[in-house]
Amino acid sequence: MPIGGFIVNVHPDHLENSIRDLKKISGLEVYGSDEKGNVVVVLEADSSKAMEEMVEKIMKIENVLSVGLTYFNVEDEIEIQEEQGKKTIH
Amino acid sequence: MGLSRREFLKRTAALTAASYVGINLPFKNENTSQASDADSWHKGTCRLCGSGCRLELGVKNGKAVALRGIPDSRTNYGYLCMKGMLFYKLMGYNNPDRLKKPLYRKSKKEPFKEISWNEALNIAAKEFAKAVKKHGNNSVAYYGSGQALTEETYIFQKVFRGGLRTNNVEGNPRLCMASAVGGYLTSFGADEPIGSYTNFERASCFFIIGSNMAEAHPVLFRRVMRRKLDNRETVKVINADPRVSPTSRIADLHLQFRPGTDLALLNAMAYVIVKEKLYDETFLKNYATFRMGKKKEVSFEKYKEFLKDYTPEKVSDICGGNITPEKIRTAALWFAKSEGTMSIWTMGINQRKRGVWANNLIHNLHILTGQLCRPGADSFSLTGQPNACGGVREGGGLCHILPGHRLVKKDKLRHQVEKLWGIPQGRIPPKPGYHTIAMFEAVNQGKIKAIWINCTSPAQSLPNCDKYRKGMSREDVFMVVTDIFPTKTTELANLILPTAFHFEKTGVYGCTERRSQLTVKAVDAPGEAKPEVWIVREWALKLAKELKDPVIKKCVEPFLGKEPDYELPKAIWDEYTQKLTKGRDNDLRGATYDVLKKLPDGVQWPAPTKEWALKGGTDIKFVRGLDPLADKHAKDQKPYQFYGPAHPDKKLWVWLRPQRGPEEMPDFEYPFYLSTGRVIDQWHTSSMTGRIPELMRANPYAYVEINPKDAKKLGIKPGDMVEVASRRGKNILPAKVYVGPCEGMVFVYWYDQEESRMINRVTKDAFDPGSKEPEFKICACKIRKVSGPKPLKPFLVEMKT
Repeated sequence: MPIGGFIVNVHPDHLENSIRDLKKISGLEVYGSDEKGNVVVVLEADSSKAMEEMVEKIMKIENVLSVGLTYFNVEDEIEIQEEQGKKTIH
Repeated sequence: MGLSRREFLKRTAALTAASYVGINLPFKNENTSQASDADSWHKGTCRLCGSGCRLELGVKNGKAVALRGIPDSRTNYGYLCMKGMLFYKLMGYNNPDRLKKPLYRKSKKEPFKEISWNEALNIAAKEFAKAVKKHGNNSVAYYGSGQALTEETYIFQKVFRGGLRTNNVEGNPRLCMASAVGGYLTSFGADEPIGSYTNFERASCFFIIGSNMAEAHPVLFRRVMRRKLDNRETVKVINADPRVSPTSRIADLHLQFRPGTDLALLNAMAYVIVKEKLYDETFLKNYATFRMGKKKEVSFEKYKEFLKDYTPEKVSDICGGNITPEKIRTAALWFAKSEGTMSIWTMGINQRKRGVWANNLIHNLHILTGQLCRPGADSFSLTGQPNACGGVREGGGLCHILPGHRLVKKDKLRHQVEKLWGIPQGRIPPKPGYHTIAMFEAVNQGKIKAIWINCTSPAQSLPNCDKYRKGMSREDVFMVVTDIFPTKTTELANLILPTAFHFEKTGVYGCTERRSQLTVKAVDAPGEAKPEVWIVREWALKLAKELKDPVIKKCVEPFLGKEPDYELPKAIWDEYTQKLTKGRDNDLRGATYDVLKKLPDGVQWPAPTKEWALKGGTDIKFVRGLDPLADKHAKDQKPYQFYGPAHPDKKLWVWLRPQRGPEEMPDFEYPFYLSTGRVIDQWHTSSMTGRIPELMRANPYAYVEINPKDAKKLGIKPGDMVEVASRRGKNILPAKVYVGPCEGMVFVYWYDQEESRMINRVTKDAFDPGSKEPEFKICACKIRKVSGPKPLKPFLVEMKT
């Protein structure tokens, strides 16, 4: 269950509409924003893959200019991968 | 009551993000009863481009479990991109495809067998010794990487030059930034940019040419974008590129010129600057001379005369695309009149038959207008790899340069190095070795009998790669490959040695802005993978015995007995910085491991003392009071001192460089321009990003981008399978019909490892006569629809044992 903290940059002239669109994405929470178009967003997903898909959805929202990752935690996903990795030794 | 663990982590994520932009959230995570989100945090540098973003890797129970940016870091201020977010998936046992044991086969037709390290290093030593004894010292070669740590490049080149007595030391930075090196040396007299990323927040005009930084350097692009959005009326962005890319989104002016007409466009901007008297007369008088040919000095009048062929009217005809005389005038005006203009470029300029000249012509605009050395004003080449600058340009990783920006051919400098290494004078040959294309040509011809390829995949990344894969497949060429995953190049190897990945070993990366940053080992490498510094040391000892040559042993003697995870790289870094950079323009003596560990983001050279290094080093070169070497080398009272080693007159040189097209122009038979480049989330040959499922799924295979007008003429619809053929080879790729490339041009991403989509089978291996950098960006091709859409699968090389 990865958790990511992001700054989403939206066009400052369309801040409110953009936040409304962002909030439609399930697993996304908006924690704050400012007049420059910086929006603090936390994503919670079932897998890194699902989070990547959420980021793609965000990128497609009109007036979203960039998605910047600032924090990423994957502690439970790693354990599963490590077990898989140990099984294959070349 | 405490929060749930999920809630705690979410709040941590939100607080971290909010802190970057100064937004206050109505809660804190202090004093909660929760366990922390990781046992320990380890500072390091992201590995997946040349920006040098700093991050911390969270480790819990010995495993990498979390990443966070470092907000105090002046490279990224805490931001990361998706590649950076996911690269922990390549670490330790996190990835099942990692190479974990040495693999060997005598014949390239046989399958690989697992062998021990002792056997592997014995074989490598015997084969290199055999080549030297039978065919001479220049029958062996090293081909390295801008992704190797500085310590690794340094020890490899030391053993090859001082031990094996050959300058056949090259690396993949020849393919990406050699023209930038040539440009800086010939225009400014010294390699690497004058300024820093700090200019992103100070510039009033950005001139972005031949760079899709939105996809290739997204975190740096964010800074440019922020600057523009916060100052929409006062900051101008000019994007010059034959292709409309995501970078163009923030441009006030997009100059879409026909491929290969860049030199004319830049000269036309200079014409306007001179004609309209927008140049800085005092700056020119104090700091510049005019040059043509090899380096003949000419007058300003002669330069004015030269520019008469480049009036905006003439050049708009040459450039085609959307270029009008008015657009050229506007661009020149914004460039010259802004309070600080920053030019930014990458491969679109460097990977040209006349890449050095293109670099010169950008620098010309800055010298003419005095847009240098002051806040926001800089002529700034972005680098593609994390350590092309630090390891290869500065550490002696190319065939003509020794550590500390010394030229091989200069006797005095070569003998300095021999003395500092304590080896006999004359040990390093006076002649530079083979440059990259010449090296693989020599492999083709059987002149090179043993080659060591480290951390790169030339079988895919060389232009016209089929031609060079033939040589690498020869049974009489022994090939060692050190890497972390199977690649198109390991497929042609005799011996594959598994290496430790980033954060599984210790060392320094030097990014685009002259900044050296340390990453200390945080997790264990999987299986028997080893750090390269250990591999080279042990191999050199065996090699010394095979060749009965004590000087080879001497090359690694200072490093004997050091444990490989920290003490060994530290000893190598100490030798390199304290001895080899002393008194050079990239003086790094102040940047010891202890100092680097204290800083969030490392040190910018020149940094001759610890005191200076602890302040972060030098933000802007050549400015008295800001650069300690500018004060040390000052020859007068002027504020700027251009002390670079390559210009005896200590001046900046404005070059008279004429328009030159590409080596291969479209014609009746091959009517299209082919250009290649990157897509966000995939990097280079996808040997790493392809192993991260999330990134691979986002871009599972390469496309050919075709302008809608061309697609309509040829009856090509989105998704149709299209053949892209040149005189050298062909690909069959799905079509992306898109207003990206200009009419008459197609664009293909080069990361795909699948044979029919590997575009370097089609590109041309012409190269710049100065920098020897190939012209990846332009060749002629033809295209035709082969079929309608077909289901495609992503492809990666598998290791068969």
